[in-house]
Amino acid sequence: MPPHPRDLPDEPPPFLGTWARVYTAVVVYLALLIALCYAFTRAFS
Amino acid sequence: MRPLDWVVLVGSLASIIAYGLYRGRGSNTVDRYLLAGKSMPWYAMALSIMATQASAITFISTTGQSYVDGMRFVQFYFGMPLAMVALSATAVPIFHRAKVYTAYEYLENRFDAKTRALASVIFLMQRGLSVGLTFYAPAIVLSVIFGWPDRLTTSIIGVTVVLYTVTGGIRTVTWTDVQQMLIILFGLVVALVMIFVLLPRQVSFLDAVHLAGSAGKLNAVTFHFNWNDRYNLWSGLIGGMFLALSYFGCDQSQVQRYLTGKSIAQSKLSLLFTAIAKIPMQFFILFIGAMVFVFYIFEPAPMVFQRVEYNRIQQPELRARYEPIAARYQDAVERRKAEALAIVEARHSGDARAENQAIANYRRAQQDVDTARRQSATLVESTGGEKGFRDTNYIFLSFVTRYLPAGIVGLVIAVILAATMSSSSGEINSLATVSIVDIYKRHFRKHATDHHYLTASRVATAFWGAYAVAFAGLGKHLGSLIEAVNIVGSLFYGSLLGVFVLAFFFKRATGTGAFAGMIAGEAAIFAAFLFTGISFLWYNVIGCVVVIATGVAVSFVSGATSATPGTAR
Repeated sequence: MPPHPRDLPDEPPPFLGTWARVYTAVVVYLALLIALCYAFTRAFS
Repeated sequence: MRPLDWVVLVGSLASIIAYGLYRGRGSNTVDRYLLAGKSMPWYAMALSIMATQASAITFISTTGQSYVDGMRFVQFYFGMPLAMVALSATAVPIFHRAKVYTAYEYLENRFDAKTRALASVIFLMQRGLSVGLTFYAPAIVLSVIFGWPDRLTTSIIGVTVVLYTVTGGIRTVTWTDVQQMLIILFGLVVALVMIFVLLPRQVSFLDAVHLAGSAGKLNAVTFHFNWNDRYNLWSGLIGGMFLALSYFGCDQSQVQRYLTGKSIAQSKLSLLFTAIAKIPMQFFILFIGAMVFVFYIFEPAPMVFQRVEYNRIQQPELRARYEPIAARYQDAVERRKAEALAIVEARHSGDARAENQAIANYRRAQQDVDTARRQSATLVESTGGEKGFRDTNYIFLSFVTRYLPAGIVGLVIAVILAATMSSSSGEINSLATVSIVDIYKRHFRKHATDHHYLTASRVATAFWGAYAVAFAGLGKHLGSLIEAVNIVGSLFYGSLLGVFVLAFFFKRATGTGAFAGMIAGEAAIFAAFLFTGISFLWYNVIGCVVVIATGVAVSFVSGATSATPGTAR
């Protein structure tokens, strides 16, 4: 009988190799978004 | 609404519900009914999480918020990606491995039954109030369009939602959310395209953006720090992060979404995808509001968008007070239009000096427009209207129903109603889950058959649907709906977040400490709400910090007391 899904161990992410790298990518993405929003504000206000 | 609108509206909603029911078939055990048998893929969970957040309020209120206050509301979401990373690294694996149905069930494993019960009751109070607001938003839509009574509208939507949620459980809720999210994205794009199509021919996309920006509507980032200012970079990053941590980490309506995941990794991916997609989506919605503002520069914008109140203040007995304001408004609107056209002309001819002069005049005219609108709101309020009257929620819908072509109006209304149904169905489903798992099963009927709990879950779902409809009338007293929902959430979320932080990171925290901490946290939040002008985004920070500080202190004292030799343990 296959193990219940809840008993499965955490698996690696489908990209970037480790979860730590995925988390870092999300934080960098946020910084980029804020920078873009700031540039947008400066350019048009 | 024209016949084509009705076809699009009824066809869209019927197909969404039918598809959801089809995907939800076989939800005949408690595990399948409440957690979809742990079978959901990450993309369905992610779209469901986003759809539950993107209720009708998102369309109705956020666009109006941008029209009035500019795009700075987007900063409210800046803390979300940080929260999602933190939750993916901590809460998701902890909840999955604890094999729980609800977040609060975990608190009993970690602390004790009273802490779980208190957290459950706080959630039921908070979410029970919010779900009423979710129902109220579409009632505005139909009262503006058809003049239908709010009660009738909320009852019709409520019965529909309860029927399919009771039938299909969370699997139906999730798959209707997916459909709804796709329609929302489509509707957003169509609405924005239509605005540009309807602008005067000489006004290009860049001209429209410049006009919005010159009026201060594109203020997406503001660095100025003020405790009483709701939306700036700092309140968004810190306060927004705490609110998102609370909402996605402690609110069962969200936790239940990612507990349906096939694996821990799938649940993590669903949260991280939401983190990536949410800010651009909100930016886009706010941008639509800013473009509606530009549209109304060139078309006659009502001084008050809430038609009933606008008609009332034009009655003969109020004419002496209304007419001077209306005259000032009309003059300011005409000057604004003339200066806007002057800006466009100067931009096209490359005359920087003329452009700067026109921008200065345009801003003065905009200030006069804002002043006249504030005076009209005061007139509404002081002559028997709602206290704190604001017409934010009526702006986008007035535009849609008056200017968009047949078919598109039906599509936008379908989006708004579908958004309401999916948001409220998720909320009702989670309220029923906590009522049954954390209250009924834990305290009243511990050992019954799976079929009994399944039936009880369906009854609880119907109960919460009826409750939500009954409380929907509160919405009209709460100003901007999007803010009202977040303020209600912030009154309770801080203490919930605090107790989970205690559970995850403070190994020596005890049940007594956690319980006392939650009481103290709630007291601190309500004190801040009632006696200070501190912005609601900071309530989560205050509540969380007070819960942790009190929880650690009481745990230390009670732990030391209980560890005293001879003391019964």
